[in-house]
Amino acid sequence: MAYPNPTPAQRWTRFGILSVIVLVVNLPIILMVMNSFQTTDQLMQRSSLLPHDLTTANYSYLSERTNFWRYLWNSVVASTGSTITSAAAAALAGYALSRFRGRFVTTYSRTLFIVQMFPIILALIPLFILFRTLGLINSPLSVIILYTVVHLPFATWMARSFFDTIPRELEEAALVDGCSRFGAFLRIVLPLSGPGLAAIAIFSFLFSYNEFFVANVFLRDENAMTLPVGITMFMQQYSTDWGSLMAAATLTVVPTFILFLGIQKYITYGAVSGGVKG
Amino acid sequence: MSAVDLSRSEAGTWRASARAWWRTGDALPFLLLAPSVLLILAVIAYPMLTGFWYGFTDGSLLKYGRFVGLDNYVELITSRDFRHALWFSLVFAVFNVVGCYALGLGLALLLNQDVPGRPFFRVALLLPWIVPSIVSIVSWRWMMADERALFNQVIGLFGGSPVYFLSDQTWAVVMVIAIKIWRSFPFMMLSLLAALQSIDRSLYEAASLDGASRWNQFRFVTMPQLRNISIVLALLMTIWTVNDFDTPWLLTQGGPANATENLVLLAYRYTFGRNDVGLGSATSFVTLIILMILVVFLLRRQKER
Repeated sequence: MAYPNPTPAQRWTRFGILSVIVLVVNLPIILMVMNSFQTTDQLMQRSSLLPHDLTTANYSYLSERTNFWRYLWNSVVASTGSTITSAAAAALAGYALSRFRGRFVTTYSRTLFIVQMFPIILALIPLFILFRTLGLINSPLSVIILYTVVHLPFATWMARSFFDTIPRELEEAALVDGCSRFGAFLRIVLPLSGPGLAAIAIFSFLFSYNEFFVANVFLRDENAMTLPVGITMFMQQYSTDWGSLMAAATLTVVPTFILFLGIQKYITYGAVSGGVKG
Repeated sequence: MSAVDLSRSEAGTWRASARAWWRTGDALPFLLLAPSVLLILAVIAYPMLTGFWYGFTDGSLLKYGRFVGLDNYVELITSRDFRHALWFSLVFAVFNVVGCYALGLGLALLLNQDVPGRPFFRVALLLPWIVPSIVSIVSWRWMMADERALFNQVIGLFGGSPVYFLSDQTWAVVMVIAIKIWRSFPFMMLSLLAALQSIDRSLYEAASLDGASRWNQFRFVTMPQLRNISIVLALLMTIWTVNDFDTPWLLTQGGPANATENLVLLAYRYTFGRNDVGLGSATSFVTLIILMILVVFLLRRQKER
């Protein structure tokens, strides 16, 4: 802050404090990962906090005797589908918000706020009844449609902030050369916002992959469940089988971590500037 | 004859003006927004209207109900479960907002200083936020699973007797709030850190020239600068907490004895547990109204800035 030149001692004290905080804050996750290499018997003895006699027994059990891969596949299908639809819809809408003014655009911008705060339970009840008559319960299509809309505000704001950084002069030059406005968007703006669109896509994927509530309502058959819903089956069926439960949770979190590391530098764009600035 | 000619020429001008609308590019914003608008109509507007109607009927998930007037709302207001859910939603939101704001601000202030490895700390502190809800609940549950779990071992070190966190009503509430704070503080931290970094440094220089102590700089420079964004963040977090299903459901399923049941869980239980679509819709509509009030405040705040 206002004291610009801290001594090395001060800097390393802060370093120490932050290291301890990071450890404490992430303790639940760290313990979960370590304990996934212990059998449930070892875990119940609880002879020490740190694991000993590491074993991958939980992971082979998970792979061979449970629906884990099925859940993972369902998660990938639902997340990929909703990523494509929401990135496409958000790119178009984000461009409109970035380049056009007028009552329609402003109203839409306001509507996104309503969408963001909307209690999803209110949408789930009528949609459950509708989807049941349409035969969409237990179909990935049901969650894909829901996720697309749930992600729309965030993805649109993020797309807008990327398009805002692309100078309008480029499009104007294209217009002079006889390009249509939409053509200028497709050929000039879109290719330039590649990294931004990739970040939006990964965010959408991450959110869909993590999502529990909607999937829990629409995917009721065990063969249709995504990972977060599938794991709750472990909690019920194998209620004391902590080993498998923690192995399943650990494997679930691996794709989340990888995707997150890829986009963490963009996170301020969407989450913060989107949600807060509007 | 002449009438036919007239309509044909009208159609012709309509088509011509549509073509002109398209060619000048005036149509473009509408077309760009069309897919999103259609999706929002289908997933938000349609359920909102039908849900409003369902609130006045006595249907189930399998068959449409009859119109019963305000019966559902009367039953709701007179039910203890509803009043409790309303109360818990409030407690949940207030404690979570205060808790994650304090934690987020503290960490943002720490991270805003000159520290070796700052990018690493920033990322490492975001993990609780990006982990799937089910994973965070599984990991926390293990730490309080039974009398020999980590928390109880720590309590034992201080000579306390074991606590059954999930079967005790007060402790269940405390744990739901604690986990929610843990899952929410990184967002606060990230947003406040961005705000801190945008504060003009010359304000601090002026303050220290005037001999302001560090605490006074925080109080009279930092906090006023953060005031607006803090209000926006608090409102956003309140909305998200009222809407939260995952934390209480996955940890306690609303129990023990409905102690951790908020409005969303109650609506879910009415609809999918008791198969009472009318009561469930009425409950979620009340939730919507409460959130609408918060959004009005939020939008007004943002306009002021």
